[in-house]
Amino acid sequence: MGEKTTVAKKEEKELYGVLAHFDTPEALLKAVRKVRENGYTRFDTHTPFPIHGLDPAMGMSRSKLPYLVFCGGLGGVATALLLQWWTGAVDYPLFIGGKPFFAIEFATPVTFELMVLFSAFTTVFGMLILNGLPCLYHPLFTVKSFERASDDSFCISIEAKDDRFDKKRTVEFLQSLGSSGIELVED
Amino acid sequence: MSSVSEDAANQLSRPQLVLGGQNFHTVTEAVSRIAEGKTPKAWYLAFAITSSITAILGAMLAYLVATGVGVWGNNQPIGWAWDITNFVFWIGIGHAGTLISAILFLFRQKWRTSINRFAEAMTLFAVACAGIYPLFHVGRVWVAWWLFPLPYSQGMWPNFRSPLLWDVFAVSTYGTVSLLFWYVGLIPDIGTFRDRAKSKIKKMIYGALSLGWRGSGRHWRHYEIAYMILAGLSTPLVLSVHSVVSFDFAVSIIPGWHTTIFPPYFVAGAIFSGFAMVMTLMLIARWIFKLENFVTMVHLDNMCKIMLATGTIVGYAYATEFFIAWYSGNAYEKFTFLNRAFGPYAWAYWIMVSCNVISPQLFWFKSLRSNLTVMFIVSIIINIGMWFERFVIIVTSLHRDFLPSSWGYFSPTFVDILTFFGSFGLFLTLFLLFIRVLPIIAVSEVKGVMPQAHAHGDSHH
Amino acid sequence: MKVTDKFKLESATIQKARTPLIALAVVGWLVSLAGFAINRDQFYFSYLVSFVYVLSICLGALFFVMIQYVTTSGWSVTVRRLAETVMVNVDILAVLFIPVAIGIPTLFHWSHPEVVNKDLLLQKKAGYLNTTFFIVRAVIYFLVWILLTKQIYGNSVSQDQNGNPSHTQTNAKWSAPGILLLFITGSFAAFDWLMSLDPHWYSTIFGIYFFSGGGVSFVALLIVIAILLRRSGYLEKAITVEHYHDLGKLLFAFTVFWTYIAFSQYFLIWYANIPEETIWYIHRFEGSWKAVSVFLPLGHFLFPFFALISRTAKRHLVFLPAMALWILFAHYVDIYWMVMPTHAHHGPNIKFLFLDLATLAAVVGTVGFVFVSRLGKNAIVPVRDPFLEESLKFENV
Repeated sequence: MGEKTTVAKKEEKELYGVLAHFDTPEALLKAVRKVRENGYTRFDTHTPFPIHGLDPAMGMSRSKLPYLVFCGGLGGVATALLLQWWTGAVDYPLFIGGKPFFAIEFATPVTFELMVLFSAFTTVFGMLILNGLPCLYHPLFTVKSFERASDDSFCISIEAKDDRFDKKRTVEFLQSLGSSGIELVED
Repeated sequence: MSSVSEDAANQLSRPQLVLGGQNFHTVTEAVSRIAEGKTPKAWYLAFAITSSITAILGAMLAYLVATGVGVWGNNQPIGWAWDITNFVFWIGIGHAGTLISAILFLFRQKWRTSINRFAEAMTLFAVACAGIYPLFHVGRVWVAWWLFPLPYSQGMWPNFRSPLLWDVFAVSTYGTVSLLFWYVGLIPDIGTFRDRAKSKIKKMIYGALSLGWRGSGRHWRHYEIAYMILAGLSTPLVLSVHSVVSFDFAVSIIPGWHTTIFPPYFVAGAIFSGFAMVMTLMLIARWIFKLENFVTMVHLDNMCKIMLATGTIVGYAYATEFFIAWYSGNAYEKFTFLNRAFGPYAWAYWIMVSCNVISPQLFWFKSLRSNLTVMFIVSIIINIGMWFERFVIIVTSLHRDFLPSSWGYFSPTFVDILTFFGSFGLFLTLFLLFIRVLPIIAVSEVKGVMPQAHAHGDSHH
Repeated sequence: MKVTDKFKLESATIQKARTPLIALAVVGWLVSLAGFAINRDQFYFSYLVSFVYVLSICLGALFFVMIQYVTTSGWSVTVRRLAETVMVNVDILAVLFIPVAIGIPTLFHWSHPEVVNKDLLLQKKAGYLNTTFFIVRAVIYFLVWILLTKQIYGNSVSQDQNGNPSHTQTNAKWSAPGILLLFITGSFAAFDWLMSLDPHWYSTIFGIYFFSGGGVSFVALLIVIAILLRRSGYLEKAITVEHYHDLGKLLFAFTVFWTYIAFSQYFLIWYANIPEETIWYIHRFEGSWKAVSVFLPLGHFLFPFFALISRTAKRHLVFLPAMALWILFAHYVDIYWMVMPTHAHHGPNIKFLFLDLATLAAVVGTVGFVFVSRLGKNAIVPVRDPFLEESLKFENV
């Protein structure tokens, strides 16, 4: 972790931003609060596991995903009830076992299963869409030390597009927050 | 304070879930090395054996398809026998995986993080094994897609009044949701594998599978909620799946099958058998891969307690069924239960009772809950017992029909036996592959429960 | 973390809480006595509903407390004393069982030899369904419950004095077999006091059904008690929104569990369609009972399900207790629906009577009065529990 700021070598590449490493979750949390207080908006953190208290530190509200899932679940219920009612009582009614063509009693198991299935699909794909994943290329992946963000390093990245971004000042600012290593990220 | 109470205080303090003075990096190393290291010779040997057993399964199924379902020992009146027994057995095994990953998550049982990945994999492979039996029991397996409500040329629809169709929906939903849950949990860890991969091909494969995960705080926000919702969905799902399986029997009017306690009783039995299977496999994996720092005695002790609890619930259900069979005053009910205990299948019944109700009672004793040999043996005994439970329920209720002229006895054929044997081969083969390519311990989750992970310095809430 | 809450009830608060309860009890008992003089049969049935209703909630409390000990739960420590003080009232309920025992000839027609002589099925069951054994069983149930509640409550309270953490372990040791004992005794109590009202009918899940209703209602009651204390200026910092959120989750989960059990019983009987089983539901689909049968899935499941599904609802300290009160009402309807349709004089229509309310007031007032008195004797939070600190700091993720 002795590496300090590495200067951009290939001028033709555009600067994406800076990546700053921190050694502990505490250090990251402290730093990210400062980053936000300093008015940066286009910044992100990169951690090997979710850090408790990071959402408020980054100024993020709660995820809206549950609302999507609720709608997905209702969609599942509607689909299942329509399917069972239409196929059994409208399109091809058959007498079987003295049971009615359609009844909420026997429709319940399938309705429940489809509610769960639709909710689960909404959860997973909703989460991926909200996160903009899959995203197989990202400028951060070009930085060798970024590999440690999935192991034991806690990082902050600030994009060059941020209004407050200034290559020199931002790097100095991150150093002052106690970063253990800062790298410039090219796109 | 006396020394006794100090001792009590020590025991009451929250145990460390990760031992051996680990830091975040050593956790990554310890888990990754299992998949990254050179493939051990023992693995090849094991793989050769299990894939040969899987080949037996393939051969038996091919023989069945070529000849007909008659190669099984099913007869009149025992139209359901080993096939459904094995189906329920495997589905039940899967349930512990969901319990560990979902229910224990909702109850904030942090010890689950060391075993959940393993148990979820077990769920998937068990569901795959389970699916084989009803799939091939339909006879014409090449038209099994008729089970789904697809508009095909005959213009007919599946019968939604049939519990067997609910099974189709329940099991396929269960398989799908378990896969999603497992995969969502894997994404960050595959990202770790991607970042550690040396070869270009591995980097690409893990890179694609991790969907470009970069541990972003903005992503974790949605991710954590998604994971919680999936846990919340899986919990009622796991209850519903085995309840629907129990409906296969309980909606009928056959004595010994039609009883209202079946849904919760089946669920408890499923969790019970699943925990036994997790225990068996985990003890082996712990020993081979030296995972003592992750799967600690605390984990094993908790698993023993859950087995004791669910085994006792199963015992409660047996007793309630027996009591109500008498209390009902219904001659058929009474006969069925006496016949189970003292009839031609009494041997199976008493194997079931001694394995499922009596053997877990050993876990009342702390000393036995910390004895690896006892745990291993009991876990296997429970696996056997739970197979017999399904066998007893299915076969004993059928073999004495309402008319004595229709009474019969079931004996398995070699195809029955080898198909079941072969399914273990499939299960273990999938497991061996999983161990070689994916992180068998949820790396990011384990890091999250380590004391260093807590920014405020508080070790737990 | 320093908590500034008062952990002991002030005598003014105790008085303030006891006065309406004692008034409720006195009025309840007086009106019940008057009703008893007018319509003895109705009294017994109404009384049984009220008695079983309150008892099921106390058993729910016992279950809740034992589960917390077995799982060494941290978050729930600040509400556990309230639960312990609810469960320990089974001793009063043992006394309040006496009217039920006296009412056996009215309530249970298997108790009449002349009926049994004409009924083959009842003859087969006579070894179990007879007055002597019925009372012996009831005594056993109450002895088990009193033993468990006294032990656990006693240990928990002693810990307040000496701070010895070994009490927590002792209670965990009592709780593990205690849960098993509670399940067995509670199931048989449900078979005896509710299921045998219709002695031909049987359902193996009935015991679990009884527990699931008691469980959800107890969680509801716990929320109500905690909020009432909060309104009187107690436990504002010890029981935070985070705890209410968790209790809300439990309320939601138990509601779903009750539905699962209730649906399993109904559905299997509906589907198999065997007359000796369906008769129980047919009675409950006749006349105005049908409305109650329709109310249960809507009021005991759908409404609370949608009302409690959101995080905001579970963290809202007015909405959550309002839903808890609703659940307590729905559970009363559930018990009423299990008992009353078998009352021969009731016929196919509901006649909700003053005796129903009077007996409910009598039982609730009496038990409530004892509860408040007991709550005043000790700290309302297990002040020296080894996990108290953890509970005070608890936050939902």
